[in-house]
Amino acid sequence: MSTGSIPRLHLISDSRLCDLNRFVEIASQAVEAGVDAVHLREKALPAGELLHVAGTLREHLGDLAWIIINDRVDVAMIARVDGVELGETGLPVAEVRRLAGATLAIGRAVHDVGGAIAAVRDGADFVISGHVYDTASKPGQAPRGPEFIAEIVANCSLPVIAIGGITPERVPEVLQAGAHGVAVLSGILAADDPARAAREYAQALCGG
Amino acid sequence: MAAHSAFKGDRLRESLAVYVLTDRGLARGRAEQEVVRAAIDGGATAIQLRWKTGSLRDAVSVGRDLREMCRVADVMFVVNDRVDLALALDADAVHLGDEDLPIREARQIVGESIIIGYSPATLVDALQAPRLGADYLGVGPVYGTSTKSDAGEAVGVRRIEEVCAAISIPVVGIGGINADNAADVIRNGAAGVAVISSVVAADDVRAATMRLKHAVEAARKRPE
Repeated sequence: MSTGSIPRLHLISDSRLCDLNRFVEIASQAVEAGVDAVHLREKALPAGELLHVAGTLREHLGDLAWIIINDRVDVAMIARVDGVELGETGLPVAEVRRLAGATLAIGRAVHDVGGAIAAVRDGADFVISGHVYDTASKPGQAPRGPEFIAEIVANCSLPVIAIGGITPERVPEVLQAGAHGVAVLSGILAADDPARAAREYAQALCGG
Repeated sequence: MAAHSAFKGDRLRESLAVYVLTDRGLARGRAEQEVVRAAIDGGATAIQLRWKTGSLRDAVSVGRDLREMCRVADVMFVVNDRVDLALALDADAVHLGDEDLPIREARQIVGESIIIGYSPATLVDALQAPRLGADYLGVGPVYGTSTKSDAGEAVGVRRIEEVCAAISIPVVGIGGINADNAADVIRNGAAGVAVISSVVAADDVRAATMRLKHAVEAARKRPE
């Protein structure tokens, strides 16, 4: 899998910001506006329902964007989505590679250099790293700043997706730090006009 | 993928006899490894790793220990709900509930190498499950239980009898079963009994499992 094929603008679901029906709607608009990966991060959802939602999402998005499922590798394998995102306390990357082979791209959340080095060693395809700026998703936790992204990039040959409080205006800064792309929750999900917000991110990623 | 599971056929029926599920909350501070060691020593024939809290990373680590203990003792090792975890741990079986992955879809990724157990929510679901590919059923709650808050109302041994009369795959009763009432479950056609609190929460896990095993074996020898 080449670095170039990893999506650059990731939209991640968050049941605190909108329910799944609304999320599918927003994701459809956002993909038309330039989002190229949509993540289902629904830890409380039973596997049967998650499988169903993944199918609905595919019907809406077609092949215009990757679908990535958080944590549940079994659901990802059955739904034939494009990738999985594994948290630091999720299934080990090497085990997932053994189970899924090359059929799934594996993204690993990393919060320190050690995690980034482990992700490379264990065969991940990309890392998601943050949180870069203050975000309502991580209240009470100090943001790590764009210099943290630079540190991860320096220690990790994989594409780094920056996450956490990233606005379109901040995109140039994280790209400058070496990020391959960005992941967004409230910046799109909580926007008055999600499609417009997505377009602004996409334009920022293309250099303006 | 490995060939057919070693636990299919008659072997499966035998392995369901005394089926113990882990539950960290009921184990009174004892680690899963300690509880399972004692249950195996007491004669458990199947162990299910049921992981409701805590990280999956820890489940992998605990599960590897349980997997090895079961392998050495020739006890069937089952993982609840997570098919990926079952595959990662090389489990003998995965157990699916009503809200988990559908049986047919799960079968797509486990092939014939892993047994699929299923807990039907209704009698209709129970009767359809063999056709969908389930290898055994967990039917209950047979008696009232406080362990599983989502288990619903007790269905009684009549449900065991009804299901066993209608399908040919083995059935294990679950829900409020202990050494005193296990015989009735077996006499109504169940291949075995699945328990949580009556073993996992016992002062002496090994002795509790032995009592249960005696009850099951006695009922099998004297059907009425």
